[in-house]
Amino acid sequence: MMSLTLEGVVLIGALGLIVIGALGMAISNHLFRMLLALVLAESGANLLIVLSGYRVGASAPILGFGDPTAPMVDPVPQVLVLTAIVIGVGVQALAVALLLKVYRVYGTLNVRELRDRMDADVATAAGVEADASQDAPAGERPLPPVPAHASVGSGGFGRRGPVPFPPQSDERRP
Amino acid sequence: MISDLAVPNLFVAQAGQLVLPVVLPLLAAFLMQPLARVSTALARGLGPLVLILCAWITAQLWIQLGDAPFTLAIGGFAPPLGILFYADGIALLFALAVPVFALLFWPGSESGGGAGADSRPGSDQADRDQAARRDALVLLLVAATTGLALSGDLFNLYVFYELAAVASFGLVALSGTGRAQVATFRYLMISAFGSVLALAGIAILYMQTGTLNLGQLAQLAPETLNNPIGSAAFALMLIGFGVKAELFPVNTWVPEVYAGAPARVSALLAGLVSKLAVLVIVRLLVLIFPQPEAAQMLLVLGVLGVLTGEFAAWRAKDFPRMLAFSSIGQLGIVFVAFSIGGEIGLLAGLAVALHHLIVKSALFGLAVRWNGSLEALAGAARTSPLGAALFVLFALSLVGVPPLPGFWAKLTVIVGLAERGTPLDITALMSILLVTAVEASYLFRVAIRLYQDNPDPVARHARRDLGVSALLGAVLVAATLGLRPVADVLGAGAAQLGDRAGYIETVFPSHVAGKD
Amino acid sequence: MTSLDHLVLVSALTLALMLLFGRMRIAGRLAVVLYAVQFLLLMQTGALLGEPVASSLTLSVLDLQMHWRYDALSWFFAMITIGAGFFCAWYAAGVWQERYREEGHSPRLFHVALAANVLTMLILLGSGDLLSLFIGWELVSWASFLLMAVGGGPAGRAALRYLVYAFSGGMAILAGLMLIYTQTGSLDYARVLSLLGELSDGQVWLLLLLIGGGFAVKMGLLPFHLWQAAAYAETPGPGSSFLGAISARMGLYALIMLLVAMLGIGRLTAMEVPFTFLSARDLIAWIAALTVIIPTYIALQQHDARYLLAWHGIGQGGYMLLGLMVGNAVGSAGGLFHVFTYGITQAALLMAVFAVVHRTGTADLNKLGGLVARMPLTFLVLLFGIISLAGLPPMAGFVSKWMVYRSLVAEGMPLLFVAAVVGTLGTILSVYKLIHNIFLGQLRIEHEQVREAPLSMLLPMLGLSTLIFLVGVTPGPALSWVAAVQASLGLPPVPYTLGGIEDPRGGLDMLWLVGILMAGFGVGALIFFGLGGRSKRVHQLDNYAGGHFLTADVRYQYSDNFYAGLMHLIGPWYRGAFLWLEKALTATVAFLSAVMNGFYRYAQPALFVLATAVALLALTTA
Repeated sequence: MMSLTLEGVVLIGALGLIVIGALGMAISNHLFRMLLALVLAESGANLLIVLSGYRVGASAPILGFGDPTAPMVDPVPQVLVLTAIVIGVGVQALAVALLLKVYRVYGTLNVRELRDRMDADVATAAGVEADASQDAPAGERPLPPVPAHASVGSGGFGRRGPVPFPPQSDERRP
Repeated sequence: MISDLAVPNLFVAQAGQLVLPVVLPLLAAFLMQPLARVSTALARGLGPLVLILCAWITAQLWIQLGDAPFTLAIGGFAPPLGILFYADGIALLFALAVPVFALLFWPGSESGGGAGADSRPGSDQADRDQAARRDALVLLLVAATTGLALSGDLFNLYVFYELAAVASFGLVALSGTGRAQVATFRYLMISAFGSVLALAGIAILYMQTGTLNLGQLAQLAPETLNNPIGSAAFALMLIGFGVKAELFPVNTWVPEVYAGAPARVSALLAGLVSKLAVLVIVRLLVLIFPQPEAAQMLLVLGVLGVLTGEFAAWRAKDFPRMLAFSSIGQLGIVFVAFSIGGEIGLLAGLAVALHHLIVKSALFGLAVRWNGSLEALAGAARTSPLGAALFVLFALSLVGVPPLPGFWAKLTVIVGLAERGTPLDITALMSILLVTAVEASYLFRVAIRLYQDNPDPVARHARRDLGVSALLGAVLVAATLGLRPVADVLGAGAAQLGDRAGYIETVFPSHVAGKD
Repeated sequence: MTSLDHLVLVSALTLALMLLFGRMRIAGRLAVVLYAVQFLLLMQTGALLGEPVASSLTLSVLDLQMHWRYDALSWFFAMITIGAGFFCAWYAAGVWQERYREEGHSPRLFHVALAANVLTMLILLGSGDLLSLFIGWELVSWASFLLMAVGGGPAGRAALRYLVYAFSGGMAILAGLMLIYTQTGSLDYARVLSLLGELSDGQVWLLLLLIGGGFAVKMGLLPFHLWQAAAYAETPGPGSSFLGAISARMGLYALIMLLVAMLGIGRLTAMEVPFTFLSARDLIAWIAALTVIIPTYIALQQHDARYLLAWHGIGQGGYMLLGLMVGNAVGSAGGLFHVFTYGITQAALLMAVFAVVHRTGTADLNKLGGLVARMPLTFLVLLFGIISLAGLPPMAGFVSKWMVYRSLVAEGMPLLFVAAVVGTLGTILSVYKLIHNIFLGQLRIEHEQVREAPLSMLLPMLGLSTLIFLVGVTPGPALSWVAAVQASLGLPPVPYTLGGIEDPRGGLDMLWLVGILMAGFGVGALIFFGLGGRSKRVHQLDNYAGGHFLTADVRYQYSDNFYAGLMHLIGPWYRGAFLWLEKALTATVAFLSAVMNGFYRYAQPALFVLATAVALLALTTA
């Protein structure tokens, strides 16, 4: 079997960071957590870059540091990773700024709520009827049908507002 | 670079001037804010001025030097260590398109001469700051996208790509509405995650080859990258760079961003930025990943993009989102075309991409005023007959009606697919034809609606937006009449674009040493 | 420059002039003159009897050569096209155009659309290879869309439905062409012809389905017929006549190219429909027969004169294809000849109906009646037209239909013959409804002041009626064209004479037949006048019933709900036929669209990215 070298461990670690970040982005329900997951993934990618120039037992590529004849670590990725980190930080800062603004407008950072609110906003701005939310029951009438004796205030389907009562006669038809 | 700038003779094209279309907008972008404090008029004029200058320089370069590809080593450091700009016909064409389209869709006065709060220019310091910021962001976008067209170094491409991304985030969010900000945030998340993957891909490439210079990568690719690891790197970079190019699974940001952003910004993003990202992917595909697996990935994702985009557009209820979905579909066709490979594939891809650049930008130009629901467009032909006629023209070309350029572009794709003729190709062919019928039905549903009777049609177009769309429409008609020369230019460009050996030869001349 | 170039250039010039001067009053007459010039130029090409005429224009795209040429088949269809354009422009040139302008429409747009239709059809008919055929096809589709859509309102909706059908058909054709291209590496007729024999039966079936299906859309063959009636009926007056006369026949032209010229009847006969005892030829013939029957009986239900005629147009296309599928000399000649006879018939009929609409403002059969004394010449035109449409002597339609029946009987296809006769029965019933509800019965009081149609509209109508009668009496000259077309297609030419056809087993001589018919009328007239010819002229509203005077406002005769009893019996058999197919397809697209939309709205982007990345990585390592 393949023996695990230090490089191998770090490589797996870097890829693992990316995967953890991706999973975090996929399953978190809160925008700020998504952002944190992104930061994790980004550091994974940065680690991968640093690793790409790494040589076992080599010295740091700094003039006058260590043995000048010994093999050096490739300096190019290290330069690259600096750029990448700077870009990453910039983008993250922008993201946080956006989050602040979003929170001020909508008062929430919940992904689903924001999506529905944004959809509704886009629809209103365009002057079209918004598609029904995935989370809300379809159609005009809440499902399952309300029994005839149920009163308006019975609740349970409060998300869609008050239940029309009594149901219109032609609505009863399938 | 400095010595080139010292005596600028803009009438004689020199390879050294290649750097100016990137540097000038960058400089101007950072000068914008301080300049706005000094003089509003100066700041407002600076952007267009710089863009005209860039377009002029690039046009000179294209006309005088565009026949043969040439390179420019930044700072005089020779490749592979130094960073270089690589210019062939297609790169220069796109580099020319960037300032031209940015100029056409310059977001100057969004209200377009109509009534509204912003029609009092300079009445408010905040407004002026906002305008300066917006102009700076557009210039930043121009610099970055020009860089994407010209750069010959993978990491440099990544940096320009990120710069373009940040600039477009800013432009989309600038409208300040909540929905635009949510859309921007989601866009940012996808884009940043894509960048992570692209970065990982770049790291893998570097591990395998030890270089990021495209020319050297092209040299080394056959031995080091024609394996699963190479394909994996391509997959990662494809997804990464595909975000801007509206590639299938990473394009979920498209509808909401185009619905939230100002229409002119959408025009730039859908028309221009996406094409430059496509160019990057094509360069990777041609130079570094000629293996069939890479093309196959592109084909599959392209077909999925075509299907999802066009079908989703069928149900769209408002004009910008319809255009956004249709844009996804069209870019899917672009990917399918480029995946064919060979000269015919590159020609087809270039034709579809340029056609979409012109048509979709122009349609978004119309969307400045027609930004509402499709229902509301009823009778719009009465208030702006030219706008309605242009819409019909663009729709005809988009679905591919014979004498118009869109037809020839689509035909080239289809013939290319039929010539290769694997089952996957035939599936792609059938999908494209199927969705074209869907496309025709939703576009002409709108066209018919434009000509309906309606006592209360939407407001007329501002003269500027209509002028821009009419200009692009005229280009389209001119291309119909002069199909032969256009096809020749594109064919030559495609040949250059697909010439891998030529690229290596240009970057590392074997016989002439030290050709700048 | 060949004579074909001249023809197409003049046609393009017509379009350009209409664009420039369409707004002016003179435009209509100018168009008439220009169509006449085109007609003369077409005659000059001599493509009918001589060698095919090639155009000097060739294009090559992606190593695919495109060229254009006219042979006898093209000539025949082009002759009908330009003729239809000529008569329709004439009809439009005078009063109609002014009225159209007053109603707030643009005569320029109308003239442009008509000229564009003629031009694109001429281009399509000249196609010399499959690519130019496809391009011409698309051009024709969009030109007809323009003509259909100029009316606005309901016409727009009908045009959109047409567009979806036609464009889907066009894409199917393109897919079929690409199938040919992958198999033969070329789209040139000659080369494709030489290699088509090597295709397997499965591939030919696919071709039939894709290309034949695409062409069938334009022709309105079942099950692609739903768009046609509304689209043609809602088109403004002369435009409707033009479309009815020739537009759908472009589909037939293309089907002839595919089925007869390229594949050949023999190949079709040899191909078995899987799991049945039918050959491909029988299948197409039965589709044609059903296309005759079902739309004709749908026409029976219409209460709008325009729709009634438009539904008929679909059915009559079935006769043409049926005749061609019989494939012998008389049958194919009958099918081709029916293109001509039906073209002039339908144009005349629709013109008459639109003349009535011009005077009364309605085409609703339940709101008309008794106009025979008010518009006698229009009545005559309609009468000639319906006799021809129903296929009764002595009009042109009789000859072509007789030939189709004759060949069906002679070739031993009794079931198809019965089907054709059932279709004719429906035609007779529905055209009787047409003429009765418009011209016979009780005059409505609001129509008392109605006058004869204006001269500018009447003249082309009468011209067409004369043509219908003359071709009916002496079909010989027209049959000579048909024979030339048959020869160019490689079919046995029909043995024609001046009065009909010669056949040892029973020919047809219209001169004799008309002579006998006229003699019969003469005898009747002799008896009538011999007995004193007693008659008294009264006002049309001067009516009595049961000894009571009927005032004009009393409705004593109802024409609503014609054939109620018959409909009660047979209506349920075909009501909503094929509508379910269209609805199912629309629902499928809507469903897919909702799914795709959902993908973009409820996207978990990162999840998709991750899934794709994993999938791609798996693909690469596999």
